[in-house]
Formats: sequence, C-alpha cells, structure tokens
Amino acid sequence: MYLVLCTMYFVLRTLTSCSSSNCPLESTVTCNYGFYDTNGTAVAYNDTMTVSTLLAGSKTQYTYQLFGHRTITSDVRIDSLLEQGYTETISEVRRDTILGNKLAGLAKMKLPMGYFSTCDTIIIRYASISNRDTLYIQHVGYSNVDLPECGTHRFHTLTGIRATDAGIDHVEIVNPAVNYTGSENIRIYFNGTVEVEE
Amino acid sequence: MNMKRQRLTYFLSLIFPLWLGGTGGVLLHAQGNTQEPPQPQKYVAVIEETPQLTFFQGFTLSADAFGFAQYLFSDYGSLEGALRLNLKNTYFPIVELGYATCDSEDANTQIRYKTSAPYLRVGVDFNMLKNKFQENRLYLGVRYGLSRYNFDISGPPIVDPIWGGSEAFSYKDIATTSHWFEIVAGVQVKVWRNFHMGWSVRYKHKISSTKNQYAQPYYIPGYGTTTHTTGWGATYNLIFDLNWGKRKKKATQVTIIERPIVAPTDSTVVMPDTIESPIDSIQ
Repeated sequence: MYLVLCTMYFVLRTLTSCSSSNCPLESTVTCNYGFYDTNGTAVAYNDTMTVSTLLAGSKTQYTYQLFGHRTITSDVRIDSLLEQGYTETISEVRRDTILGNKLAGLAKMKLPMGYFSTCDTIIIRYASISNRDTLYIQHVGYSNVDLPECGTHRFHTLTGIRATDAGIDHVEIVNPAVNYTGSENIRIYFNGTVEVEE
Repeated sequence: MNMKRQRLTYFLSLIFPLWLGGTGGVLLHAQGNTQEPPQPQKYVAVIEETPQLTFFQGFTLSADAFGFAQYLFSDYGSLEGALRLNLKNTYFPIVELGYATCDSEDANTQIRYKTSAPYLRVGVDFNMLKNKFQENRLYLGVRYGLSRYNFDISGPPIVDPIWGGSEAFSYKDIATTSHWFEIVAGVQVKVWRNFHMGWSVRYKHKISSTKNQYAQPYYIPGYGTTTHTTGWGATYNLIFDLNWGKRKKKATQVTIIERPIVAPTDSTVVMPDTIESPIDSIQ
C-alpha cells in the first residue's frame, strides 16, 4: 500500500509540475512588407528611407523658413534660428512617430500595426525623392491567446490597402493574416525595373 | 544382465509414445524380443482437456482516483467512471464517462482559463495475458474521446505601446468541440473478492478542436492540457466486478486412469484408449 501511494504521488507530481516553455521563440506581431520592382522582381531598395506613422491626436509643430535655406521643422521652439533671421510658423499637426529611421538597402521590412485602429497611415520619406509616399492600410485587430503562459497577442486581418505614387508603382496584399509567423503580408512595387543577368 | 536389458527396452517402449504426446492407443513392444516380456503391474496416465470460456463474462464498474487526486492537488481534475464488458476474459469494450473542471491562472501573464464540462470515451481493451482464467490482467487498448464544452478566458487589459489605447481582454462561453484518441496500457489485479485495483497510462493525440480566433482551449475535459498536440495521461482505477449475467465457464476436466495392463498375446501391448473412470473435475 505504501508503495502504491508513493507511486501515485510520484506520477502525480510528474504530470502536474512539469514546466517548460511551449511558447514560440519569435512572438512579435508585425506586418511584413516585401520590396519588388515594377515587374515583380524582388529587390533590395537602395534609396535611404525613413518610415513613420501618424498617431491619434495633434501636436504643435514649429516651422522655420529662410530664403535660400532648407526649411526646418521641429516639435520644439528653436530660438537660435530666430536669431539667424528665420521666420517661425506655428501649426497644429497630427502626432506621428518614426518606425524606421534611415533604412537603406532593405529587401523587406517589418512594421507594427495599431492595436485598436482600423486604418494605419504609414509615411515613407526618401532621401533621393523630394515627395513622400503614404500607405493607408485598413485592418481589423483582435486579441489572441495560444496558451496562457505565452500571454496575449494582437493579431490583424488586412482588409484593404492603397498608396500614393511618388516612388511606389503599386501595392498589394498577399497574405491578410498578420501574426507572428513572419510570412509576407504586403508587397510594395517601386517604380523602375532591375536588369536580371542571364 | 540380459534380463535387465529386456526390462529397459520395454520401459522405453512405454515411455516414448507418452513423451511424444500419445496418451493411448497401441504401443509397440521392442522388436526382436519374443521371449517372456516382463509384465508391469500398473501405469498412470493423465489427460487434460483445454478449458473453454463462455463468451460473456459479466460487467465491470470502475472509478478513477487519479483524476480526483489531480483535482485536489492542481488547478484541474476530473471525476470519472467506466462501464466495461468482459467478453471471454479477452476483449473488454468500455465506456468512460466523466466530468472535468479547470480553473487556472498563469502566474506570469495573469491569464485565467476556466471550464467545466462532461466528456465521453469509448473503446476496447485487450487482455494480453496468455492465461485468460486468472483474475489479474495486463491489457492494451484504444479510446476515442469527445467533449463539447464552453470556456472563459480573461487577462489584464491590452495596451498599445505605439498608437496608445487599451482594451479589456475577456471572452466568455467560447463554444468548442474537441476530439482525440488514446492508446492505453495498464494492469489490473484482484484485491479482495470482486474488488480490483489497477492503473493505466495513456498516450493521447488530439484530432481536432473547434477553431476560434480569440483563444485556443488550454484544457480539454477528458484530454487534459493542450500545451502539445500529443500528451500523456494516467488513471488509477478502483474496479468492481459485477457478475450479472455471467455464465459458468466450462469444466476443466482432468482424468486419471488406473488399470493393470492386459497381458499381450503376441509382441504388442494394447493400451486402453477410452476414459473409464473420471476421478476428478474442477470448476
């Protein structure tokens, strides 16, 4: 009887107290973009890009202009520019934040998505193109738990996308399910083509 | 000296057919020896018939103590009973019915999972012991499991680190149906009269669960936790044999024949090939 009780206790402890992580190693939810030329050939985009997104709410923006000089914008007042003769313009603009700063030579990029928004606005500024491109990504977000020990994730389903055409030829959704698997979701086809060596 | 050799030859002529499986019939006397064969006074032969079991051997009711112990010492557990048929002490069709509950909160993520629901398993066990007459059993079996249940899952509010904002995370009554199968190995020993005890280990493989975009079931009643597609389980069974409708098994007959050998008229000795005096039989 003693042996039976000991065996039961051992089996019980073994089955109920084992602990190991069953969570995925990469669990960051990102929307994955692939870069292509106009013809659909995967490319590494050589131009330097800065990617930002608009946030909810507004902020005060200071703009400084002086004839013959580059226009400077800042979220804080710069008194030294006024002393140099710059003209200051104060305006209320949408808040934004930079998601990727001075990205160069990328073939793909990963960007987060707004948890509770239904349309994300992604702004791409190029180093060699004066105009910028804006991506409008419509999506539906939902919370997901695989296992309680792994925490919650915010997954998304892409429902639509459009973009301006400063440097972009067109965009398309190739996989609407945004999760942590790392699969490509959106393809950006930039203007121009690359020559493929035969 | 010659007499000793004759006796040895005759003795071997009696023994060899018996050793080869013969229990009666004709035994040949040693060839070439026609002079006064020695006459044994008597011999003994034992005949055993292979016993047969009737098809239906009764019912078995059992309860699982392991699931109840799990309930006492962990966040989940079950109460389970089973009804098992005994067919020829070899095949045991079984129905297992239980009610499982789980109320678990992860210490790190503070996500809470809660469910309570019945479950059903059906299958069959096979007694692997060669001797089917003994009360102890070593068995292998298979099960198909099914549970329909609702679960609640909740956790801390989700906060967007970039765009801002937060939302409560709480979903209730997510309806789910799960199927799985099990491979069972276990033993059962007689403790006292009709009371048996035994245990089993089970390899479980989930076939499917209803897809839900918010959460996957963490605990399936009857299956256990779902940290992997496959899992292991165990039962510790308290078993009561109910002999309702059980027929008596056929008698095992052991017959001993005791008779002087008839003196041969020629070179052969004729052995009786009929059973003349059944002496003993056991149930």
